[in-house]
Amino acid sequence: MQTPKSNKRVLLVLCMISIICTLTGCWDNRDINHRVLPLAIGISKQANEYKVILKIQVHDNETTKLKIVTQTGETISKAVDTISTNMESSVDLLHVKVIVIDKETAEDGVKDIISGFMRSREVSPKALIAICDEDIEYFFTNIKKTMTSDGTSLVENFDKGAGWDPQIALTRIWEVYRSVHSYTHDVAIPIIISGKSTSIEHIGSAIIKNGKMVERIDNDETLLFNAFKGESTHGQIEVMTNASVLIIGNSMNIKSKMNGKQPLMEGKVNLKVVILETRGDPSRKFIKKELNAHLSKRFSHMFEKTQKSEADILALGQYFRTHIPRSELKSWRTEYYPNLKMNIQFQIDIQNEGYLKTL
Amino acid sequence: MDKSLNVMVIYILSHLGLIFFMYPGNIIDSTEQGHWLPILIGVIVHFVFITIYMKGLELFPKKDVISIYSSIGKGTAVFFLIPVLLYFIMIILITVRAYAEIITIVFLSNTPLWAIILLILFISTYIAANGIEPIFRTGFLLAILFLPLIVMIFFTSFQNVDWHYFVPFDTDFKFMSSPSYYESFFAFSGGFLFLGFIQPYFSYKRKKVLIAAAILIPIFLFSVYIPILTFGQATAATTFLPYVVVVDTININWLMFDRVTMFFLLSLISFIMLYLALVIWKTVRIINHYIPSIHSSYCMILLSLAIFITCHFISDWKEVEKLFLWNTLLRFYVLFAIPLSIYYFGRRAKRKENNANT
Repeated sequence: MQTPKSNKRVLLVLCMISIICTLTGCWDNRDINHRVLPLAIGISKQANEYKVILKIQVHDNETTKLKIVTQTGETISKAVDTISTNMESSVDLLHVKVIVIDKETAEDGVKDIISGFMRSREVSPKALIAICDEDIEYFFTNIKKTMTSDGTSLVENFDKGAGWDPQIALTRIWEVYRSVHSYTHDVAIPIIISGKSTSIEHIGSAIIKNGKMVERIDNDETLLFNAFKGESTHGQIEVMTNASVLIIGNSMNIKSKMNGKQPLMEGKVNLKVVILETRGDPSRKFIKKELNAHLSKRFSHMFEKTQKSEADILALGQYFRTHIPRSELKSWRTEYYPNLKMNIQFQIDIQNEGYLKTL
Repeated sequence: MDKSLNVMVIYILSHLGLIFFMYPGNIIDSTEQGHWLPILIGVIVHFVFITIYMKGLELFPKKDVISIYSSIGKGTAVFFLIPVLLYFIMIILITVRAYAEIITIVFLSNTPLWAIILLILFISTYIAANGIEPIFRTGFLLAILFLPLIVMIFFTSFQNVDWHYFVPFDTDFKFMSSPSYYESFFAFSGGFLFLGFIQPYFSYKRKKVLIAAAILIPIFLFSVYIPILTFGQATAATTFLPYVVVVDTININWLMFDRVTMFFLLSLISFIMLYLALVIWKTVRIINHYIPSIHSSYCMILLSLAIFITCHFISDWKEVEKLFLWNTLLRFYVLFAIPLSIYYFGRRAKRKENNANT
């Protein structure tokens, strides 16, 4: 005969065993070999439909092949779902690292696309965004030809630990989402096309205002944009008529004040450079002067462009948060920003001249 | 026996679980500018009332809230204990339902709700059924395992902040008229009552608990300010769980895990399970006081079963929010009336004692 105590123990063990089934947390799970995890996704809006292009890796007899899959649908998730239905494995957007949007869609506005990604949380808000300045299907088929078999080169182009350069704007989904809602914060998104020898080519950046592409800047201006944002600009070669230098450090100091309704700004950018090449025998003073003039001109050119399109990609409005009340800050882009007067100065230090002395 | 450290740990853990989810969203919804003021007022209220509560409890050494009230009179006990009981049942219900929904939103999107609710309830009931000492010991274990992780993620969440969003400081009292501000007191009023229930089992020093509450101040402040500094008020107000979205944006190159959110959430959910265990234990203590015939473990199982079934009548998030709002009245009753009454009765008892002596 069993004692009540051992009865209780049997019950407990049975209970424990039944818990094991639930504690694994597996529910409708799919094994990894039945999942497709695309790294890049292309989106284009055509009439009322979204065209979604996925770059998928297919394993076949120990070799990896790249496959481009295209599908249209009324929503992006519908299109992805259709691909998933038609394929032998299910598509999971969990690891998407780069989202490529074509130029027409970007000009039309990406607010809904971005909000959708933020809402569903299927795609990480850290994923990068790029704009493609050619037909998106052509772009994907072209990069497939030049790409390495593991198919990561599109991602590595934007990876700070790999192929990223300071001329490339780095903008993530959550930053674009912020630009849609923020009063003072706009973003720049890199523009790419497929290349001939390299898989992609960077041809500048798009200025995005409230989720719409309004203007574009070139690579050199993107470098200034990155310097302003405080991204490291190391390794950048600045070519002038008489010399080329390497920027090894940048810091910035900005003062803001209001003159009635006109915002005023004084900026001072400190650059540390190393001389790489010279043509003829320019003096240090001459190089400094020329670099200063060159950068000032380039900066004011970019700045005027952003003012004209009323897109505050440098987030200068942030400096006026204490000067302008919140109710008025709402109209920062339209009323204040175009009138902003910016006086920027470049302070250049030549840290060393390498193995050779300059006169 | 002095167990101040254990009490501190439980105090911090249960509050951490409550702060990082709903609290930032509630504060961000309640005002547009100068969020430090609503946070500060909440923290001051919190401090004042836990001090009063603990001072009152000190006047009744080795007695818990239930025996204090019943020693005064049956009517008093009913008047104070029944709302507390109701409040506890409500917070178990709301917490289980809300966190199950949060888990589905954030990561287990395919899992049915009942499975998640069952899991949460089962584990917390199991911990609670073992009694108060295992709850405290589990708390210690969870703190060792998960607190370093939470602290690390808390600091890395500063990665994308733009300090310009900190200014301007000027603010107004408009948030006082916003219901979501009163909902935010969920984070202040939910966790402190246990200090009055553990007396005969654990003793602690008042100062130590206040230190634990002080450690939480920066957490309260930055759980709201980190989303604002990262997104700005206008954008942060559009998100449902602002702090969790910020954790999602953290990008650590050298870490092999892509989404640190998972670690963050699972640690916090384990804290919430512990918190629920504590609340279930307290609830059953009150029920047992009135119906001593049922064994406490069976009572807990019945309670969780009832909660599990009731959870199914709450069909969507809007209803969870409604419950949150309805619970506000009870919440403030518990936050104000319990500490004040304990303190009042304590003083009265002291006076009587003094009169009797002279």
